[in-house]
Amino acid sequence: MIRQERDASLQDSGYIFIASSDSIGEGEMMEVSVGKETVLVARVDGSVYAVDGICSHAYSELVDGELEDNCLYCPLHFACFDIRNGDVLEGPADEPLSVYTVTEQKSSIWIKIER
Amino acid sequence: MTAAHPIVIVGAGIAGVHAAESLRKEGYEGRIVLVDGDTQPPYDRPPLSKEYMLGESSESTIYLRHDTRFNELGVELKLGVQITSIDTEQQTASVSDGSTIQWSKLLLTTGSRLRHLQVKGSDFKGVHYLKTLSDAKNLRSRLDDVQEVAIVGSGFIGAELASSLKKLGKKVTIIERMPLPLAHILGDEMGEYFLQLHRSEGVSVMTEDSVVQFDGTSYVQAVITKKGHTIPCQAVIVGVGVIPNTLLAGEDLDVDHGYIVNEFCETSLPDVYAAGDCTMWPYQGTNIHVEHWDHAVNHGQCAAKNMMNEKSTPYSSIPYFWSDQYNSRFQYFGHTKNWKTTILRGNTVDHQFTYFYLNESGIIEAALLVNQPKNALTIRRLIKQQQPVDSALLSDSDVSLKKVNIQSNEDKVSY
Repeated sequence: MIRQERDASLQDSGYIFIASSDSIGEGEMMEVSVGKETVLVARVDGSVYAVDGICSHAYSELVDGELEDNCLYCPLHFACFDIRNGDVLEGPADEPLSVYTVTEQKSSIWIKIER
Repeated sequence: MTAAHPIVIVGAGIAGVHAAESLRKEGYEGRIVLVDGDTQPPYDRPPLSKEYMLGESSESTIYLRHDTRFNELGVELKLGVQITSIDTEQQTASVSDGSTIQWSKLLLTTGSRLRHLQVKGSDFKGVHYLKTLSDAKNLRSRLDDVQEVAIVGSGFIGAELASSLKKLGKKVTIIERMPLPLAHILGDEMGEYFLQLHRSEGVSVMTEDSVVQFDGTSYVQAVITKKGHTIPCQAVIVGVGVIPNTLLAGEDLDVDHGYIVNEFCETSLPDVYAAGDCTMWPYQGTNIHVEHWDHAVNHGQCAAKNMMNEKSTPYSSIPYFWSDQYNSRFQYFGHTKNWKTTILRGNTVDHQFTYFYLNESGIIEAALLVNQPKNALTIRRLIKQQQPVDSALLSDSDVSLKKVNIQSNEDKVSY
């Protein structure tokens, strides 16, 4: 609440506050809704990444899958994506996941959804 | 590996398409000819009974690959022609357009064909089956004129169509020969669950009954059942199963309920491989046959790897399928016919549970997950490790499945 107010410059440049830093530990992931988008946020090797929360292959929420290092597995057909850049590492998916710009400042995680 | 003659893949379904892609991925540089009798570009079948039927997805969204993909891969896609016969000695395939293709290796991904219902009135218009995109297109184009639908068979196709058509506001009646739906795969308790699921969604299910005749003029108007019921309808959909396509080279190859292949997808003849729905393959000591999308993907890829490098990659996937019905997602891992005990984790009332099938040693052979995708990958691992599990932990949904996993590993170490 206070956090959102104190970083007006991030807001001005189109970032949206999504969570406090301590809510995502190393190797953990969470799903957030930003406007119409379902976004998957995860922390790998200390950095926070954000990708489309729905598999690019068939409807399935990726937060129900598993994160192993940088590999994100879908729970429906077991496609695997690189959480860092959305690339397909294993099929059946053949489209990468959209990637969102993330910044972590003053113990807060912000993402930017390009319109 | 390059050869003077192409690799010929018969059937551009899931297994065939994934095999072709996998050959290129593995570095095969020779010609690949992919043949299919369907005139449509290769497409995905699971949406036909669901998203496509509901009008949520169109033809172009269910194509497996962009139309340029096969060109990019250098795969010669021959659509709308059939392979009419195979000479396994001369290594040739005769094509319905009169041509002959010489092959270096052959992959049979011929899939399956519909089992037809042979009763009086079967040829009325409005009696539908669902296998191909054109079947789905036909049925969908008629739905505006249909208020009442009779579905013959409460298997997965019948159940998914019941769910879709109910969502579209139709009055749906399922006619099932057995006392419970799906009990031969899932057991009586889950059969009862699926029966009640249909009924609670307003779909009527007539069990232990079968169709003796369709009534109508040129279009079907009613189904007459063995017990003497008359079910008025403007459309019938028959979903009574499929038969593996094993006619090609069937006399030269070992065939049971499908071409028999070993763990390397090799048939009984050299250079002839088979994958997907048209096969029987070794799983935990017996030959099994499944008709799963996931198996077709994995089996096709596995065949490709072994065609490139002989006996390099034994097939080791855990069978898996999913089904979306009403507002629930079902996922099933493993394969079992003779389970000893079952364990329910969670409860059926709120449609959030997993039902485990265990053998006499307490090893999980299979599991049905209802609206629990979070557990899917863990359960797949539990089945793959083939270790006895603590059934008290397994049934307690307050204990993480990962703990059940760890527990059994510790057991293994301490023995």
